[in-house]
Amino acid sequence: MEAIHLFSLASRRSEWLSVRQATIAENVANVDTPGYRAKDVQPFREVMDHTRLQMAATSPSHLELDGRARQTRTDKADSWTITHSGNSVSIEQELMKSSSAAREHSLSTSIVKSFHRMLMTTLKG
Amino acid sequence: MIDAVASLPGAAGLAAPTSGVERKAATALTGAVQQPQRTDFSQVLSQVARDGVSRIQAAEATSLQGLQGQASVQQVVEAVMSAEQTLNTAIAVRDKVVQAYQEISRMQI
Amino acid sequence: MMDPLAAISRIAGSGLQTQSKRLQIISENLANAESTGSTPGADPFRRKTISFKSEMDRLVGAELVGIRNVGTDRSPFRIEHDPGHPAADENGNVKKPNVNMLMEMADLREANRSYEANLQIIKKARSMVNATIDLLRN
Repeated sequence: MEAIHLFSLASRRSEWLSVRQATIAENVANVDTPGYRAKDVQPFREVMDHTRLQMAATSPSHLELDGRARQTRTDKADSWTITHSGNSVSIEQELMKSSSAAREHSLSTSIVKSFHRMLMTTLKG
Repeated sequence: MIDAVASLPGAAGLAAPTSGVERKAATALTGAVQQPQRTDFSQVLSQVARDGVSRIQAAEATSLQGLQGQASVQQVVEAVMSAEQTLNTAIAVRDKVVQAYQEISRMQI
Repeated sequence: MMDPLAAISRIAGSGLQTQSKRLQIISENLANAESTGSTPGADPFRRKTISFKSEMDRLVGAELVGIRNVGTDRSPFRIEHDPGHPAADENGNVKKPNVNMLMEMADLREANRSYEANLQIIKKARSMVNATIDLLRN
């Protein structure tokens, strides 16, 4: 029943990628906000190490409303720039991350689509 | 007995296999559900049927939430796909059982 | 957080709104770069400023962006010597707006870039949603 593990893994990955994309959106929206530090999510591997997704609240503003975990961390160590106003968002970096997140998501859904189709074909045979 | 099998989605209680006939049907089934340890196919059948029904209900509930903006697109899609997979599995199982019984009934002299 | 992909519309939307307002302010500054007063010694157009702040939206579960304040630039006006001008004072000096065209143009380009970046994010999110829905299509 390895296909089941695959669907579950792809599902978690897609969700992680969505949360990452939303975090990137926050960074881009706040690119000109003084003092705003760029955020990023925990690496997917760390997420997978937990059997249940956990909340990692780094400040009261990161409270989870519906139980879906959102792992965020402030102060990306590899920020390309920090302006004199204290803003550490680099648009180029964020847009690159955004493209790669969309691409990985596309791969994840394509894999699910293929295996789902194969499963359906098997069952109908 | 074939009638009971044909109405699989509602079937809950089938007799435990006691004869060689039922054991052969059970073996025919195991290929469909890929659970080689189970030879008690009544449990398998009712489990699959229950799974199928509950997955479809879950998919319906999640879709309703999705339409109201309370569930994410991903959750709705996953619920529907899961229901699809389980339903088709249940149908395949049912067909295999019907097929097995038909084969067996032809064997009798 | 609400559905992350749905949240992105709200987040990037707030970015579009604030950058839009910023573009408006810059346009106003550019259009009035030479707008003087009409009576002797009168003050000219004073450069406008805008600053942003991040706003945590609990429903969305993310930090949106908003306008902290729209203000005026208190730096001194330029002085040009033009005795024939209606706004010339007794020394023939006219106060001109404290708008630096080059700076405003640079600001305009940056604001555009930020605006476009927010648009890109929205497009990416939309493609991710479409990819998910596409799973149900045959």
